[in-house]
Amino acid sequence: MKANFNIKKNDILSNLKNQTTPEHKELTQEEFEEFIVKSGAKGSFMVYRSPKKEDELGLDSL
Amino acid sequence: MPNSDELTIDESTLEELTKLKNGAGYEKRTWDEWFNFAFNLESSTAQSTLEKVMEKLHYESFDEWVQNFAINLNQIWNESSARVLDPLQSSTTHNEEHSAIVIGSGPSIKKHNHLELIAKSDYKGSIICGDGSLTSALQAGITPDKFPKFYVLTIDPLERQRKLYDNDLVNKYGGKINGIFSTVIHPSAVSRAREAGIKIHWVHPLFDYGEGKKSFNQISALMARAKNHKDGLPAIQIGGNVGTAAWFVGWQILRCTVIALVGINHGWEEDDPWEKIISHGRTADPKMYGNDISVSVDKSDPSFEKLFRKIYNPEFNCYSIVDPLYQFYSNALKEFIIRSPKWLTTVNATEGGSIFGERIKCMRLRQFLDDYKK
Repeated sequence: MKANFNIKKNDILSNLKNQTTPEHKELTQEEFEEFIVKSGAKGSFMVYRSPKKEDELGLDSL
Repeated sequence: MPNSDELTIDESTLEELTKLKNGAGYEKRTWDEWFNFAFNLESSTAQSTLEKVMEKLHYESFDEWVQNFAINLNQIWNESSARVLDPLQSSTTHNEEHSAIVIGSGPSIKKHNHLELIAKSDYKGSIICGDGSLTSALQAGITPDKFPKFYVLTIDPLERQRKLYDNDLVNKYGGKINGIFSTVIHPSAVSRAREAGIKIHWVHPLFDYGEGKKSFNQISALMARAKNHKDGLPAIQIGGNVGTAAWFVGWQILRCTVIALVGINHGWEEDDPWEKIISHGRTADPKMYGNDISVSVDKSDPSFEKLFRKIYNPEFNCYSIVDPLYQFYSNALKEFIIRSPKWLTTVNATEGGSIFGERIKCMRLRQFLDDYKK
């Protein structure tokens, strides 16, 4: 026995559907920033990112 | 000939996938939603958005942090590098298994009486407290007298961190505690820790090292090397918060082969008060954070579901409410755990929260304390 998954195209209809179900969309930059500032969480550290991915895990000596 | 628009899988594979989907709490949700969750398809983009915001906010405080470093520099020269805590510096035995418990101050710590459980145990491994949990750990009986390998970590460069060391119990036990401090920590916070007798050890917090020789990380490192620290200081990934930084310290500085997390929920309990949740816990501690918190959230607002996600934790059969800051922390920590070396085991003994998934071994704290003695 086999089972098939049908692929749903990202057409206009599905885009419209997404617009009416905001709970499934991600936070926007503005929404996140507003929360951070209002909650008093400003001052938290960032995550360090680097083109050299191994550096992101720390350096024995700097 | 296979149709490229059609995915065909064996029924047995579908049955296994269905078990995983239902087990993750996605029984009543679509396959598309589960695939996005299981393979992290949405969160990598979302995390990138969150990280951009945090980077912007981080740089708003850049001037103050450079000033902190400048004031700390003389003490940095005269005090120890955190590298002296690295057992590989004094031993060639790399493979001996030893563990640490990272103690955060998430809501599960009280709910499950985890501090009392640790205090009554005969655990012989390292204890790494985030600064926010230091006083409550000491109060519960987790002291360096009973647990000699006792560490506290401060990363946050704000002056309010001083209050976390301003305590009689910290004064009493400070002389037996190893402190690990970021080079940009507020001088009055590290000064208070020093007054309590805590042995200071310095680390650089990574944030702009990749921008080259003119980056603050590289310039401040050159300045730190100018006197006494000719080999430099270790530089660690902070991951946005002290809990994740403590996990990195356990791995990169203390070289532990097993790191257990308690009180690292990165999420709220369902029965936590909403006022506490929407303020990221700050309204619950006005002594630490003051009364100037202005966040208010309308539960009927369309953005509410996005801001405060309720997720099912299948490992502990519970739900966790993950606010935006915890989304940011949680995604980062889970990513770094996946990227850690295979010899390192991460155990989540928090018994709740949002930290579960690949490379994370979840178990009750009592079980951990039975299984790992050293």
